[in-house]
Amino acid sequence: MKLLRLLWLYFRLGILSEMEYRINFIIQLGQSLLSLGAAGANLAIVFSHTSSLNGWDPPALTVLLGIFFMMGGVIGFVIEPSLQRLMEDIREGTLDFVLMKPEDSQLLVSVRQVRIWKLFDIGLGGAVIVTGLLWSGEGVSAVNFSVFALTILAGTVIVYSFWMLLATLTFWFVKLENILVIFQFVYQAGRWPVTLYPAWLRIALTVIVPVAFATTVPAQAITGGLETEMLAGAILFAVFLFGVARMFWKIGVKRYSGASS
Amino acid sequence: MTTATSAAIHVEQLKKTYSIHERESGLAAAFRSLLFRKTRNIDAVAGISFDVHPGEIVGFLGPNGAGKTTTLKMLSGLLHPTSGACRVLDCPPHRREKRFLRRITLVMGQRNQLVWDIPAMDSFELNRAIYRIPLPLFKSTLKELDDLLELNAIVRKPVRNLSLGERMKCEIAAALLHRPDVLFLDEPTIGLDVTMQRRIRSFIRDYNTRTGATVLLTSHYMADVEALCRRVIVIHHGRILFDGDLSDLVQRFSSTKTIVVKLENGGADLSRFGHSVALEDGGVALRVPRSETARITEQLLATLPVTDLTVEDTPIEEVIEQVFALE
Repeated sequence: MKLLRLLWLYFRLGILSEMEYRINFIIQLGQSLLSLGAAGANLAIVFSHTSSLNGWDPPALTVLLGIFFMMGGVIGFVIEPSLQRLMEDIREGTLDFVLMKPEDSQLLVSVRQVRIWKLFDIGLGGAVIVTGLLWSGEGVSAVNFSVFALTILAGTVIVYSFWMLLATLTFWFVKLENILVIFQFVYQAGRWPVTLYPAWLRIALTVIVPVAFATTVPAQAITGGLETEMLAGAILFAVFLFGVARMFWKIGVKRYSGASS
Repeated sequence: MTTATSAAIHVEQLKKTYSIHERESGLAAAFRSLLFRKTRNIDAVAGISFDVHPGEIVGFLGPNGAGKTTTLKMLSGLLHPTSGACRVLDCPPHRREKRFLRRITLVMGQRNQLVWDIPAMDSFELNRAIYRIPLPLFKSTLKELDDLLELNAIVRKPVRNLSLGERMKCEIAAALLHRPDVLFLDEPTIGLDVTMQRRIRSFIRDYNTRTGATVLLTSHYMADVEALCRRVIVIHHGRILFDGDLSDLVQRFSSTKTIVVKLENGGADLSRFGHSVALEDGGVALRVPRSETARITEQLLATLPVTDLTVEDTPIEEVIEQVFALE
C-alpha cells in the first residue's frame, strides 16, 4: 500500500536523522515516562477519594489513559511533525518541491516528517491499556476488540483530518503556528472521559475539536460500553471529515498556485 | 523525444497577474487595512510567447522581478497562468500529471530539497522510491552524475556539513536522478565561487550533450549564459524585449566598444576621446561609439606613448543594462 510504503520510507529517514542526535533518545524516553507517571499519580489521587467517576471505575480510566497516550503518540509520531513542516513549507515556499513530485501531494505532506521517539508513547500507551484490562479482570471479547480497533482507526482519521484542516488554513493565513498549540492544549481534556464534562463542553469536544473520538469512544469500545450508534457515528464522521479535509487541501493547493488571481 | 508539436516548450500569450495587498506605512494605516484591504493587480508576466526546441539550452535573462521565476514556475506546473497557454512536453503543466512530473525537473539555487541532517545519498534513495526508479537505472544514472560532478566523496556526509558548492552539486544530482527531459534551472550557480560556477556550468553542458535534454536557465551571472546559451530571451516587466542569438543581442543593443589603454607615464586625461574610467592597474578604459573605434584607436596610437592597447566588446552585463534602460 502506498501509504505504508511512503510511511516506511520516511520512518527510515527519521531514524537516520535521529541517529545523528543520540542523546535525544534518552531525553525523550525520560519525558514519556515522566508524563505517564504524572498522569498515573493524578488518577491515584482521584481514586483515593472516590471509586467511580460517573460510571468509570479505576481500570476503565486506566484504559482511557492508555488510549490517550497512544493516540498522543500517533499524533506526535507523524501527524504533528509532518503538518508543522507543511505549514513552514507553505510560509517559506519550499512546498514547491513536494508539489513537483509524481505522488499524491496530500499523502506526501502527511507522512513526510516522523518523530521516531514518539513510538515510545504508542508502546507505553499499549502497555497501559493492557494493564487496565488485566486489572478489570474482565476479558475482551473478539467483537469488542474489533470494535475497538475500528474506533481507534476512526479516531486517528478524525484527528488527522482535523489537523489537516487546520494546517491547510496556512494557505490563506500565513501565520498559524499557535493554532496547533491550542489543539495540543484542548487534547489534554481527552485524558478524562468526555462524559464527565458539562453538555456544552462535551459537544465542543466531540464536534468542534473532536477529542472524544480519539480517546473516550475507543475506551468505551474496549470496555464494552459503546453503543452501536456511536460506532456508526464515529465511522461516518471519520469519512466525512476526511472528505472535507481532502477537498479543502485541493482548494488550498489551487490557491497556492494562484488559480484565484 | 517525441512530442506532437515539435517544440519541447510552447508558450503562447502567457500571462500571470498577482493581486497584492497595499497599505501605507504607519499604525493607523495598518489598522485601516485590517478592515479595508486595498488590492492592486500586478502583471508579473504580461503575455509572453516563445518556443523552445528539444535539446536547446535557452538563457532567460532579466533583472529581479522581471517575471523569470514566475514563468519557470508556470512552466513547471507550480503556478496557474492567469491567461494564455503553455505546454511542456505536450502536457499542460498546471495539471501536474504524474507522467509530466516524471519528465521534468526544477532546480532553485536558493532553495533546497535535500534533508538537512542526513547524507545526500539517503535523500537520493527517497527520490528513487518516489519516482520509482528501477535500481539498475538508478545506479547507472548515479554513476554518470558522479563522473560529471564528482559526488563520491560528498554524498555520504550529512548535508549540513557540506559547503554551499558541494550542496548545490548534490541538489542538482537529486533533481536529475529520474533523468528528466526538461530542466528548469533557476539561478543554479547563485552564491557559488567562480570555480564551482564553472563546474556546474560544464556539467549542464555535458548533461545536455549526453541526454539531449532541453534546458531553460535563469542566471544573474552572464558568464553562465555566455558559456551555455546560444539563444537568450530577455524579459523585463513581464514582457519579452529580445529573443534570439546572444551575439545578435550584443550587435543590436551595444552601440559602444571599450578600448583599454596603458600609457608609459601612467595616467593621462583621455576624456577628450570618450567616456573614460581609470583602472586599478594604471590603465584607462575608454567607452567609444562602435563606429568610431578604429579612428580613435589610430589617434591614440599616434599621439600618445601607448604600451598596451586592447579593444573589447562591451561586457554583456552592460549591454543588458542598456537594454533595460531603453524600457
